[in-house]
Amino acid sequence: MSAIVKLVRTELRLVLREPLVLAFVFAFPIITVLVIAGSFGADDAHSFANVDPSQWYVASYLAVVIAAVGLVMVPVHLAGYRERGVLRRFAAAGFPRWSFAAAELIVGVTLTLVASVVLLLVASAAYGLPPIDSPVTTVAGVVLGAVAFTSVGLLLGALMPNARAAQGVGLLAFFPSFLLGGGGPPPDAMSSTLRHVANVLPLTHVTRAIRQPWLGLGSGMGDLAVVGAVLVVSAFGWRRAIRL
Amino acid sequence: MGEPVVEVHQLCKRYGERTVVDHVDLEIAEGEIVGLLGSNGAGKTTTVECISGLRRPDAGSVRVLGLDPQVDGSTLRTLVGSQLQDSALPDRLRVAEAIELFRDPRIQGSRAAVDGLLVAFGLAEHRRRAFSALSGGQRQRLFLVLALLNRPRLVILDELTQGLDPAARRDVWDAIRSLRDGGTTVLLVTHYMDEAEALCDRVAVMHGGRVLDVGTPARLVDRHAPWATVRFDMTAGGVPIDCLRAVEGVSYVRQAGAQVEVRGDRQMIAHLCCALVRGGEVPADLSVVMPDLEEAVIALLAGSDERALEPTGGAR
Repeated sequence: MSAIVKLVRTELRLVLREPLVLAFVFAFPIITVLVIAGSFGADDAHSFANVDPSQWYVASYLAVVIAAVGLVMVPVHLAGYRERGVLRRFAAAGFPRWSFAAAELIVGVTLTLVASVVLLLVASAAYGLPPIDSPVTTVAGVVLGAVAFTSVGLLLGALMPNARAAQGVGLLAFFPSFLLGGGGPPPDAMSSTLRHVANVLPLTHVTRAIRQPWLGLGSGMGDLAVVGAVLVVSAFGWRRAIRL
Repeated sequence: MGEPVVEVHQLCKRYGERTVVDHVDLEIAEGEIVGLLGSNGAGKTTTVECISGLRRPDAGSVRVLGLDPQVDGSTLRTLVGSQLQDSALPDRLRVAEAIELFRDPRIQGSRAAVDGLLVAFGLAEHRRRAFSALSGGQRQRLFLVLALLNRPRLVILDELTQGLDPAARRDVWDAIRSLRDGGTTVLLVTHYMDEAEALCDRVAVMHGGRVLDVGTPARLVDRHAPWATVRFDMTAGGVPIDCLRAVEGVSYVRQAGAQVEVRGDRQMIAHLCCALVRGGEVPADLSVVMPDLEEAVIALLAGSDERALEPTGGAR
């Protein structure tokens, strides 16, 4: 069995034993989507590009899962491993230096997909599942968004000196992204200043790359390109920054 | 002596402006236990990390079993077992999972060997226990099991017995001796001189990134602590202290009440005994204390510091 397969299998087991992961990646998006998607009625559709608000949020919240994995779980995990010498132990045992980052990338994306399915199951039971207008582009948005944000997480984890710093910076990045980039009010309900801020947040583009093709609001290709650029920049960053 | 398992030639490693390993030469033959001793910051761990392939040397060369750790890391993976200082396992990883992660299934009979190791190190009943739930001693023993899993030809142990109680240390010592008996080469980094003296065939003493001396513990003691101390109780009216001071090889004599302590070179012991017997003094409690490796290393390090403080020829 290759080093990567072994690491992925072990890491998947371990992250599912982490209370932070279970709370932040699985519970938080589900609880918040159930609350916020039920907070608006059909009369508010004009603020949601004339889409039913519950459908708008169900289609938006996959990005919240992606952000939870990429901005909180992965950086804390990676920085904690480096801080405690776990990466040194893996490297000393002959696991190639890149294998841990590659395994984390696979684990992050896998976890995002599993948590997304759980979220959709719960949300669809409560609000129904919006019909998917462009399935291929929507899935591309989810997958590329998950890869890009896990990659951002690896970069943060490589740069942060320890798990506590990674958690602080991760949460600081997560909550504005969550509130402005998909999980909070719709763009039409924001002031122009906040809308400008939201437009520069990577998560906003992930949300749009999923929501636009899903709800038939646009192709989302421009946002997909931005997400791709985030992936390239972050991957280049962590490949240079990652250390034992 | 067998073929070299580790060959380090003129190894240099710098962190920024700071040179932490400075032209180190070290050779370890097959089946040897070699200890790396020195104060904190001596460069021991960095040297070991270069040998393990964790750090790239800035200059010089490292060969392990004839291979370059930087290039042939994957080949060396099963040939070298490492237990490194300041390293850990994920908190929630269980003992059995750690073994499965680090075990190479291509090695015949490794599963049976693992069971034997777990029993030998008292971990058989803790297979399902998470790393965070293990005591300090159990963690160190698990690290040793992981280092030995794939029947390596070279085992690198960095501060393995740190934090272990005396009984656990002795158990680990026995395990290291049995490794040597099985033909495994061991590179042992330790702060414990008694450990190095008890286990190592040869010891390299490092200071300021350089190897000051290499040799068997006994040779290092002879070279750097070539003295002996004799203690006995003197009867009233025995040999005058000034006569003892005049004995050949004596460097100092101290008397506290009846107790006399005489220090000098090794030949001094025979001359002193002669002088005592000639003076009618045959103490029943005479004891000779020979210096140990710790004293030799302290003397070597102190001498190194003094040499470092001496003005250079040009400055004179």
